[in-house]
Amino acid sequence: MKANKKIISVILLIVISSFITGEFLISNDETPIALIKKVVKDVTYKQNEEADWELAKTGVPLQNGQEVKTGTKSLALILFTDGSGLLRVRENSILHIYGEQEVNKLNKNTFIQKGQLGFQVSKQEDEQFKFTTPTVVASIRGTGGFIDVENDSSTTIVCESGLIELQATGGSRQSGSLSGGNSADIGADGQININPTTQQQQNQLNMNKQTETKKVKIKTKEGEIEIEYLPEYE
Amino acid sequence: MNKFLLFLKTVFIALILFSFATLELKAQISGTVSSVKIGDAKEGSDLLVVVDLYSSSSVSNITIAYQTYSQSEFKIRDMELQGTSASYNIPAEDIKLPYLTYYFIISFSDGTQETYPLGIPGEAEPLQLTVTAPSPKDKEVIILSPAKGELVDVADFFISISLIKAGDDVDVRATKIYLNDKDISDMALFAGDLILFYSDNFPGEIDKGYKSLKVDTYDKNGNLYHSVSSDFQSADANYIRDVASQFKSNLLLEGESRNEQFNDESTWYNNISADYNGSYDDWKFKGYAYLTSEEKSYLQPQNRFSASVENNWFNLRVGDSYPRYPELIMDGKRLRGFSGSINLGFFNIQTSYGEVVRNVEGSLIQTYKEDEVPLGSNIIAIDQAKYGNPYGEVNLGTFSRNLLAIRPSFGSGENFQFGLTYLHAKDDNSSVEFGARPEENLVIGTDLKVALDDQNILLTGQAAVSIYNTDISTGTLSDSEIDSVFGSDSYFDADTEQIKDIKNIIGKFITVNQFLGPLNPQEFSSLAGEAAIQLSYFYNNFKASYVYRGNDYKSFGQDFIRKDVKGINISDRVRLIDNKLFITLGYERLTDNLQETKIATTTYQKLNSTVSIFPRSNFPNITLGYTRYQNENGISKTDTVNNIYQIDDATNRFLIRLSHDLEIKGISNNLSLSLSTSSREDNSLSNNDANYTSTNLSVNSYWQKNLSSFVSLVSYSSEIAKVEYNYTSISLGARYRMLDNKLELSGSISPSFGDFKRQSVDFVAQYQVMQNFSLVFQFRLYRIPDQSTNSITGLSTRITL
Repeated sequence: MKANKKIISVILLIVISSFITGEFLISNDETPIALIKKVVKDVTYKQNEEADWELAKTGVPLQNGQEVKTGTKSLALILFTDGSGLLRVRENSILHIYGEQEVNKLNKNTFIQKGQLGFQVSKQEDEQFKFTTPTVVASIRGTGGFIDVENDSSTTIVCESGLIELQATGGSRQSGSLSGGNSADIGADGQININPTTQQQQNQLNMNKQTETKKVKIKTKEGEIEIEYLPEYE
Repeated sequence: MNKFLLFLKTVFIALILFSFATLELKAQISGTVSSVKIGDAKEGSDLLVVVDLYSSSSVSNITIAYQTYSQSEFKIRDMELQGTSASYNIPAEDIKLPYLTYYFIISFSDGTQETYPLGIPGEAEPLQLTVTAPSPKDKEVIILSPAKGELVDVADFFISISLIKAGDDVDVRATKIYLNDKDISDMALFAGDLILFYSDNFPGEIDKGYKSLKVDTYDKNGNLYHSVSSDFQSADANYIRDVASQFKSNLLLEGESRNEQFNDESTWYNNISADYNGSYDDWKFKGYAYLTSEEKSYLQPQNRFSASVENNWFNLRVGDSYPRYPELIMDGKRLRGFSGSINLGFFNIQTSYGEVVRNVEGSLIQTYKEDEVPLGSNIIAIDQAKYGNPYGEVNLGTFSRNLLAIRPSFGSGENFQFGLTYLHAKDDNSSVEFGARPEENLVIGTDLKVALDDQNILLTGQAAVSIYNTDISTGTLSDSEIDSVFGSDSYFDADTEQIKDIKNIIGKFITVNQFLGPLNPQEFSSLAGEAAIQLSYFYNNFKASYVYRGNDYKSFGQDFIRKDVKGINISDRVRLIDNKLFITLGYERLTDNLQETKIATTTYQKLNSTVSIFPRSNFPNITLGYTRYQNENGISKTDTVNNIYQIDDATNRFLIRLSHDLEIKGISNNLSLSLSTSSREDNSLSNNDANYTSTNLSVNSYWQKNLSSFVSLVSYSSEIAKVEYNYTSISLGARYRMLDNKLELSGSISPSFGDFKRQSVDFVAQYQVMQNFSLVFQFRLYRIPDQSTNSITGLSTRITL
């Protein structure tokens, strides 16, 4: 009977805690790696590979190894908890957040499984800030730009400013440096092709930075429906 | 170590007591400047300086002169004069450890000038302000959300504070969070080094409106470790949707009416201003207008207006602007016209065109016949048909002056930029009837910046040459006029053919006549240049620079530049013990008489050393400094012909500055003490020995969240040529907020004693009628015993739309 009471107490505590913490559990000891700053439309996250996708809300803390997925016309803004950077996860993207906390620093590695990710990263001292895709590892010291991972895993990285060190992971495993105003295409063959940023890529970058939403109200027989959406930019 | 700290603490307290006991505390007593408001000087951050005047009625202009430890000369910049205040924002690149030296130059309508402190140079020393290093603790406490100034939806509101970078001695769970002064720490959740607060969990707790967020962190002994603050605005989704629409705008309206009573004379001053900010996508639009009753046709413009449009590669401003080109050529001078730039990175172009001086008509005093006209700089030819005689004595007017500047440049400026600058400015001879000697100026310059190794090596340089015509009223000379004016038999002994060649080349750009200079270009008399190398390695910031300024260099875009000087300046700053100890050393050697226009060449040497300690613990910040100036021109006292020109003096200056945040029985106090003493030994015939001692003590106390007070004690003691001058000034004041912070009352009283006697009283009440509407009432009384009693009463309002 005492054991049952304990179990019920624990369950109650978990339920109350989940209610108090805004429906997501917060570990007292472990420092989250990142948190979701803004959610537009369909954004989900999951605790680990085996867990189910859960609806993400503004303020959700993300621990090491957690994943974030965006649906069509959706957006998630993610802040790293050391204040080092902001990620813009555009529509139909999946990314995995990894991080390792050391004394007074946080080494970050974000795996982009697919989709487009914009980033604005402040200058890193002796910390690591890496983006990994199926074809390349990009080490950032302080820069802005975006990374696009196609369905065939080929990756395009556009660097707006600063410097990005690249190391292809497949084939010939080329390496190189990408400076501001240039873009790199990295395929499964491990080749890195660096070219000046095209006007189309510049437009993509501008669109990637747009995070403000619009809302419309539609009157239906059932009442008024409000729809929030990300406007299309030319 | 603890004993050592205890000893130093005892010394600090003793110094404070000593300063109270001797009352040898310094004041920069002035009949013009009421107070100087200056914020916390932190390296790498802009610094706003505001000068409050007792009365603005006779002041025509105020400039600030400031100098960092590594600069060889003061930068002099116009301040924005509005009502009884003048302000200037010193850019971040000029705020450097360990201190900033500054003073003000006040110009009056009658053409006279004075400085604040009174008597610079010679009879007083400029002011100094300690510049502190940005506290590394600022990086340890990170407010992740909301961002500063962010507009957040009440429904999605959350606060997130990260202490990931905080040291081990910080007790994360002892952190206190205040939202609009309300302690919400108990409602926060702790996740490792992250602190979270969700409004969802506390319905009704977060309302709409402007919010201030303060985070106090504590060490494991319970002592306050560091405070950071931020502000943001919460609103409902509909409001945010409106704000987030593509077009955003806001308008700020301000109005002021004040009465100045100067003895029996009463004068009203009125001004209004409108400040508009709008944006569409990445385009920004700004508009500004300031209209004042002090606008007079016989003064330079007091009204201000401007409109601008800009994005990240283009900007255009119409109206009043303050364009910045390479410092030798033009740097922040007011221009009424157009200013704009296109910045593509690999190629950029900047241009400005407009009026930098407005025409002010002179007046005729009396007329003269041709055969009785006397000599005089204000005797000019006048319209005989109109005034009866061909010459007149006049109060000279001011010609309007238009200026054009263009600077194409290559490179973004991050690691490389090469620029070329062209500046041409000319007085309009027809703009006034009673004027003389209109002028014209042409400057061509180049500048270069190269940064290497992630900006650890920085090479900069700029050079400019000028041509200056001091009287263009006769226009460009014809060939026959050149033959008659120049030549071996004439007053201007020059090769006439050479003059004609010069005319044919530069006559397309500037008026060529006998008043064109420089006369000795081959001696680089109108060349100005400087080059510098900065190295940042091994915790050192090393800078070496060379300056050259010919005595004839002149740019109408830069009124304040030291000329006839060349030499080197070397400085180094070392950061030690995790940025807790800064040691700076500097040496400068300059000489004048570059074109041998003086009897002797003076060598100016300055040795500068400072030690700054920022312990970041419960202990004062300390700055100790020693500076030696030595000037001499080699003329001997026994040289009976030239010894009246002898310069041979040395000045030793010592300073101690301490500041400390101290909590006594729950009351936060900020104490600062500054002691400065200077002794000049003048070995020349004039024997102008001078000794100064100045001390300044101030205590700011924060009794509770609504009440703060300040006490300051300043005193000055000098002996110049055996004449003593001593005075002391005390200021007592308090600020109190009430009615839910809607009403703020502040008042102060400041009597001065000794050789200068004055009493002043200030009272200000500010009431926030609505969130976007506030009223300010101000009353100021100042009295100089047996001389005058004056007052200012003013009411101003502020509306944000």
